[in-house]
Amino acid sequence: MSVQTMDDRSPRNSEESSWAVETHGLTKRFGDNVAVNDVELLVPRGCAFGYLGPNGAGKTTLIRVLLGLTHADKGTMSLLGVSVPRHRDRALARVGAIVDEPRFHGHLTGRQNLEILAAARERAARDRIDSSLERVGMTHRADDRVSKYSMGMRQRLGVAACLLGDPQLLILDEPMNGLDPAGMHEMRDMILSLVAEGRTVMLSSHLLDEVERTCDAVAIVDNGKVIRQGPISELLAGAAVEVHVGCSTPDRARTVLATTAFGEAIDVDASGLSIHLPSGTGQDAIAEINRILVEDGIAVFHLEEQQVSLESWFLQVTSRLGDNV
Amino acid sequence: MTSVANSPAPATAPTTNGGSRDNRGSWIPNGAMIQTRIMELRKRRGLMAALIVVYIGVPTIFLLVRLIAHAVAPKSYGPAGGYDIFTALVIGFMFFLGFIVAATLGCSAGSTDLTDGMFRHLVITGRSRLALYFARIPAGLAIIVPLVAVGFTIVCAVCVFAAPTKLSYEGVNVPPGLSAAGFNHWAASHPKEAVCGLPNFGPNNVPCYVNGKGKVVVPRGTTGFQNISPATLKADAVKVAEQNYKAYSKLFLYPSDALMIRTGLWIELEATIGFIVGLGLASLMGQRTVPVVLMIVLEVILTPLFSRVAIPHLINAQRGLVGLAMSHLEPSALPHNLGGGGGGPGGGPTLVPESLTVAICVVVAWLVGWTALGAWRMVKRDA
Repeated sequence: MSVQTMDDRSPRNSEESSWAVETHGLTKRFGDNVAVNDVELLVPRGCAFGYLGPNGAGKTTLIRVLLGLTHADKGTMSLLGVSVPRHRDRALARVGAIVDEPRFHGHLTGRQNLEILAAARERAARDRIDSSLERVGMTHRADDRVSKYSMGMRQRLGVAACLLGDPQLLILDEPMNGLDPAGMHEMRDMILSLVAEGRTVMLSSHLLDEVERTCDAVAIVDNGKVIRQGPISELLAGAAVEVHVGCSTPDRARTVLATTAFGEAIDVDASGLSIHLPSGTGQDAIAEINRILVEDGIAVFHLEEQQVSLESWFLQVTSRLGDNV
Repeated sequence: MTSVANSPAPATAPTTNGGSRDNRGSWIPNGAMIQTRIMELRKRRGLMAALIVVYIGVPTIFLLVRLIAHAVAPKSYGPAGGYDIFTALVIGFMFFLGFIVAATLGCSAGSTDLTDGMFRHLVITGRSRLALYFARIPAGLAIIVPLVAVGFTIVCAVCVFAAPTKLSYEGVNVPPGLSAAGFNHWAASHPKEAVCGLPNFGPNNVPCYVNGKGKVVVPRGTTGFQNISPATLKADAVKVAEQNYKAYSKLFLYPSDALMIRTGLWIELEATIGFIVGLGLASLMGQRTVPVVLMIVLEVILTPLFSRVAIPHLINAQRGLVGLAMSHLEPSALPHNLGGGGGGPGGGPTLVPESLTVAICVVVAWLVGWTALGAWRMVKRDA
């Protein structure tokens, strides 16, 4: 996937914009609490985009502001190149969203709830009810009352509601919440299939493993501020490197390395050493570690560069930067 | 800062029309929105059953019991219908209950999207919030107006078709629909009934009364009519008839078509007010229970309390009560719904005075004002 810098971005408020979501200086306050703090967010079209952050970081608030569920105090934003809230009706015409737990009229069936929502959309939305239900695997329960639905079924009905408008952009707030492993798997497949159709899916979550499996790009939010954003592969490439060394005498090996440039962050366990190297460290450094240990007579069984997971990177970033923003 | 680039959309990419043709920014709701709102309310089976039982079931059972009782023992139980039953049911039941039933429905319509979590889904469609609010008005009225109409029609039907055949005025059987001259003529030809049975406001030296069976009774030990010449008795009877004609002229065997139509429209207007105010109040407060309680308090306690006694410093505020305004719009042939000195028979304390124009303005202000408040809250509310 090619890379685009912020300076390359297309003009704002144009429906030809490359960005499905674009915000500049977006701020939302609740009294003294700044829930969304000067957020600059660019979500490219046609990808799955994860909006990550710890609980209370302001993920849902940002989504609510984007969808016009609450107003922003400052900043500009656009959805699919259309400025909101000025042209909110035009922007939301091709947006589907689930915010928080999806809730519906419990005394109505799933289909009847969708009929209410379709009536508020364009005429063609009514013709999409059956296909939306089929797509989320709810056809067989469509005529049951929602009060009898499980949490997972309500989530799927929420996705069906999103699909009524044939959306170009889906904004899903914690879509995996309440789903069992099979349900999470189905949701992940559904998101990927939606992206494969050319739609953009922006999902907020704190389930980092799921996001890593689903999304192409992410933004990390902490204390209401976006602190990192970009393709996952690029972000992880910039993360610290961890090298595991299997050797005969781990304690002696640590002593030997302690006098070198690698001695600052070494953990010892029964099988060997874990050495934390700064981001951007190349293969040469690993070879150098091997050389030092071997020259000192320590038998090295293996050297392995550990793949940094999104979760560990997220923890690094939020713990290091979260307090400073 | 970097970000992934826009990937080319595949052939199956979704359509890109912006939905501008569906006019979803307009404040006017479309037909489908209204239809689905009706469905949403209608499917609240518990609520609908309660409203039907209260507004249609109770008067129906009441009239049914009277019909059966009259059929079984006509001498002990009077006819099920008639003008008196009509006015009693309309004033004592259908008017007040119509308001409360409509307010309950309005409060439900105004709050269920919020409490059920659907409001958020609806806002996300991009549809104007005003349109979302205004869709509830015709939807609710499409339920409450027929409900009131059915209940009222049942009452009218029974009151007309099961009306008494004789008019009883103060216990005296009087032919219905007489002119003033005709009433005087009847009194002259039934002088004892007129003198003993009808209320009279001058000296009456004959100690007598009319019993429950319509017979003139002269107490034992009294002289009765022995010392009164037939001519004097007839003259007294005519005098009594003249005193009573005004009240008599407002008595009927059964309500006239014009009265039923006017009363029906009046009750429907009251129900409409109840619904609109309930809708606005519930939208404003974001819940159902408290607004319903407030509406009942308004109708059952505040309105009667502040409509009967004029408080000099608050009289203009009193005139702003919609219940008082509706009392001034009441059909004149009905006894006053708030127990004041309305057009019908009976007395009681007078209502706080208000011109017809002011009454109409108050009703319009309540309808427009609460609609505006509810819509404003809908637009400003965080979803």
